[in-house]
Amino acid sequence: MSRIISYGKAINEALHQEMERDDSVFILGEDVAKMGGDFGITQGIWHRWPHRAKDTALSEQAIIGLANGAAICGLRPVPEIMFADFITCCYDQLVNNAAKLNFMYNGKAHCPITVRTVQGAGIRCAYHHSQNVEAWLMNVPGLVIVMPTTPYEAKGLLISSIRNNNPVVFLEHKLLYNTKGEVPEEPYTIDLYKAEIEREGKDITIVATQTALKLAHEAAAIMEKEGVSVEIIDPRTIMPLDKETIINSVAKTGRLIIAHEGPKFGGFGAEISAIISEHVWEYLRAPIMRVTSLDVPVAFAPVMEDYVLPKTEHVVKACREVMEY
Amino acid sequence: MALSKERLLKLYEDMFLIRRFEEEVEVYAKNGTIPGFVHLSIGQEAAQAGIIDCLRKTDYKFPDHRGHGAIALCGTDKKRVMAEIFAKATGINGGRGGSMHVHDLEVRNMGFNGIQGSTVVTCLGTAFASQYRGTDDVTVVFLGDGTLGEGTCHESLNMAATWKLPIIYCLLNNQYAISTHYTEAHPQQQLSTWAKGYEVPSETVDGNDVEAVVEATERAIERARKGEGPTFIEFMTYRWQGHFAGDPAAYRPDDEVKEWIENRDPIKLLKEKLISREGCSEEELQKIEAKANEEIAEMVKFCLESPDPVAEDALKNVYADREVEDR
Repeated sequence: MSRIISYGKAINEALHQEMERDDSVFILGEDVAKMGGDFGITQGIWHRWPHRAKDTALSEQAIIGLANGAAICGLRPVPEIMFADFITCCYDQLVNNAAKLNFMYNGKAHCPITVRTVQGAGIRCAYHHSQNVEAWLMNVPGLVIVMPTTPYEAKGLLISSIRNNNPVVFLEHKLLYNTKGEVPEEPYTIDLYKAEIEREGKDITIVATQTALKLAHEAAAIMEKEGVSVEIIDPRTIMPLDKETIINSVAKTGRLIIAHEGPKFGGFGAEISAIISEHVWEYLRAPIMRVTSLDVPVAFAPVMEDYVLPKTEHVVKACREVMEY
Repeated sequence: MALSKERLLKLYEDMFLIRRFEEEVEVYAKNGTIPGFVHLSIGQEAAQAGIIDCLRKTDYKFPDHRGHGAIALCGTDKKRVMAEIFAKATGINGGRGGSMHVHDLEVRNMGFNGIQGSTVVTCLGTAFASQYRGTDDVTVVFLGDGTLGEGTCHESLNMAATWKLPIIYCLLNNQYAISTHYTEAHPQQQLSTWAKGYEVPSETVDGNDVEAVVEATERAIERARKGEGPTFIEFMTYRWQGHFAGDPAAYRPDDEVKEWIENRDPIKLLKEKLISREGCSEEELQKIEAKANEEIAEMVKFCLESPDPVAEDALKNVYADREVEDR
């Protein structure tokens, strides 16, 4: 049975259900046990399973290191890194260890860890609590990067991630925690490595992640009034990427816009752009456009933060440009 | 308490064998047969053999960067350990890891790592798994004096001590992190005192005296198996060669090197003990040496005759559930 719950609640429910289903699942991280997480996402777990929910010191390397070691032994750790910005502190364990364990052990051991962390701007906390980090991880073969946007996705993709045998970096977005949507009560999975066509259209393809998806939908509604039909794709898993869905869409529409909240240079959009140029450039009727934040650290003052983030009007402008080209 | 003659003889065999193992690796690294670089552990055999000898097959072992010797003794087919270093298809990891990444989960050799200090936190997880599942398997992690500069060591000791994880931190202090003497990089005269801040029992022992190595390691293992938490042991030792095969190690005083090689050779020390205290004959020991030499010759032959890996296998097992695209 479905009901309307928040993105944060959906993640919490997925954790509870997976803990219940599989004794090898445990959580650890800073303030995840007694307090239930800085954003309240792990609430209630410690009360039910005190020995399977561990509060740790502020030691990101130890948190992910422990998770990796336990994963080799067949456990399924779900460590939390309080803010995605802090993954720099455990980058070695993610990049040099988690991502390589399956390869190192030649498939004899896996690394079934799901690193939950929260990224994104919009809460006026400046450059150490506001970054979008997917591009920091995208050049590391072996990692799986999941970016859920709706409550439905959040629950299903988290359950799939926990059951998956690869190291998954599960990037939640803090501005989405209170957004609501329909979510089935029972546990369910959503295929990883599979993009979702959220809206079908024939003139422009917009590939967008997390907060940028909302901008894409708003822009699509505006463009519809102008007689332009927009197709919107949510990649869900950005690595390994469902290239096929995106390539097929662009082959149909001939126009591509990529929208994401992180910086432009070397970002997710650059990779999508390159893939499309390599595969279906002859179908393109206009240059590929990217709508992103500006290439700067995120400033604290609200007017400054708002200035650098992408907005609906930027997506609309890009749509008009590709149509007029 | 002195170890039995039988055990000392077994350790002599192990130590002699891993010395010969490394001597052959050195030859084939220097003549270019072995690609890349290798970190030789000649001179550190007592600590390597002694520690491994105290462990069960089900204990988790994280050898260090200079760990060929310890790895060869974990219970893996030794010729496949050497073949891995030779980058051969018959290597224990099919040639994908090489000198710095030889693992064998069958014997819970969890492998070492190209990143100093990495395994010092990964080992928290195997120890946690023992605790989580209620087994008494312990985790042994080898580290060097250079490794101790890494922040992971602090995070690891702090967490292991707080949660009483069954870990034995074995610091093989060979005194030099490449060229830098440990007293130039750390304020402690003995690095075992470093662990005191975490309220982890620690001691410094002569790492070239295999009996002292075994005794200290067994004490630590007993504590860990009883759930009393981690121990930190500093084994004083010395590497005879440079940091990697081919490094002339001009940064070390000649008389210091000479002293360690001539007067503190762990194999020579054990041999003297076996003869003077245990009444072994030269002949008896030579027999052990001859057997080891034979075994080593077979290993080298196996490595030289083994095929290279299939190049496309470089794409295998990047992910657990999917293939990666070829060019």
